[in-house]
Amino acid sequence: MRVWLVLVLGMAGAAKAADAGNAGEGLSWLKKMAAASRQLNYSGTIVYQHRNHVETSRIVHYVNPAGGEFEKLETMDGPPREVVRSNDHVICYLPNVKTVLIEERNRSARNFPALVPESLGGITESYAIRKGEVDRVAGHDCQWILLEPRDEMRYGRRFCAELGSGLPLRAHTLNEKGEPLESFAFSQLTMGGSFSRDRVKSKYAEKSKAQNWRVERSGYTAAATTPSDSGWTVTGHLPGFRKLMEAKRSIGGRGASVSQIVLSDGLAAVSVFIEPMRETKGPSLSSQGAVNIYTRPLSNHIVTVLGEAPTATLMQIANSLEQKPTTASLR
Amino acid sequence: MDRISALMDGELDDREAQSTIVRLKDDSELRIRWDEFHLVRDALRGDPLLSAGFDESLSKRLAEEPTVLAPRRTASQTRRATTYAMSAAASVSAAALVAWVALSPNSPSGVQPNGFMEAKQSMPAKPNVDDLRPVVVPYDGRANDYLFMHEAVSPSGILQGLAPYVRSVSSVPADRR
Repeated sequence: MRVWLVLVLGMAGAAKAADAGNAGEGLSWLKKMAAASRQLNYSGTIVYQHRNHVETSRIVHYVNPAGGEFEKLETMDGPPREVVRSNDHVICYLPNVKTVLIEERNRSARNFPALVPESLGGITESYAIRKGEVDRVAGHDCQWILLEPRDEMRYGRRFCAELGSGLPLRAHTLNEKGEPLESFAFSQLTMGGSFSRDRVKSKYAEKSKAQNWRVERSGYTAAATTPSDSGWTVTGHLPGFRKLMEAKRSIGGRGASVSQIVLSDGLAAVSVFIEPMRETKGPSLSSQGAVNIYTRPLSNHIVTVLGEAPTATLMQIANSLEQKPTTASLR
Repeated sequence: MDRISALMDGELDDREAQSTIVRLKDDSELRIRWDEFHLVRDALRGDPLLSAGFDESLSKRLAEEPTVLAPRRTASQTRRATTYAMSAAASVSAAALVAWVALSPNSPSGVQPNGFMEAKQSMPAKPNVDDLRPVVVPYDGRANDYLFMHEAVSPSGILQGLAPYVRSVSSVPADRR
């Protein structure tokens, strides 16, 4: 009896150690992927697929000698659209509606989560990570890294990382049945090349200014530069999810200020937006790729919860939202 | 946590199910989880929800029932009662599972968010707050600005760079799905 017990415990211990070793290796692959995505120079074509929808984009990423990061995404199908990023500054050009969306991120603002590989650490709590097979994508050998969700709160992920550099060449998000909800994959990729301003500049940069396109800037209200209070709190029991940030924001296209709370399990993120109700609207659900969107009214406000997480998770978050008592009423 | 959903899905064998039910009895956090799962699933299925605090008011009403004076149970009776209770719990959960399977709709194919079984009508998850019957609508691009802001903070961007922004600028033809 005792012998069996020792044997069983020993085996369990060994299995656990092997599991931990595998997870450690998986995690170091994730960090390698993150580093490659930020530090490598590359250009290529990305195919984005969800449901029956396929969309092709060109993507270029360069790092200048000073370490600055520049990236450009240009859609190839449908109306032309471009997204350019220089470090933490993202601009989206929508020529068909003559609109520019600007997301400015002030690095010094303390309420901003640091999007660095180190923040991937908490992932093992929510996902079992393991190495899969070696595969080939766009002519490059790559290593599959599989992230299985530990519960129903989140989706599974799979990445195929280029063997040498770790650059993710293919990424899938999977539903609870293991079926892909969306996928990103390089169909052509050139690594290397040197930085040049022209390669990462939008062809609409000058045109949008000359023609006075509408600019929608999503900024942070003054109060948001200090650790900010959105005025709302998520009370639900959400294992693995932590609050990444909260802020009151002004958004170009929306009249009043909007509260934003971001929750994340280290990989998936859910954003909660709360704005004053302008028109009476009932609750609704929709989705865009692996991102689900749940909207509901809540005491004279409209709550929009969206993120790459199952609808049940979004609804749980939305339905556990509570307005904090205002300072005025506390006095 | 997985056990709770596995129990609800009928994926546990008898022994595991029983041990999970026992744990549910003792672990208030697990019970909250159990309640939440049911609330969400009921909501997804469109079952009418019990009013908030139903369990408390039921307990209260039960407590207010007149006490029936009866001979004290012997130890063996208590044990038998426990056994009955256990098997009753098991059959109740079995019945619930059968009902679950039987009632799970083969939802008509239509526009459905990911993993969403049926949303033709569901009901308030917090009936005392608002009427929460979500309708499933095709994405109309109205939340593109929110999506754009979301991509900027999602850790997915650490691994995938700008690629996820495709979602927020995706052209959304009406006939897409």
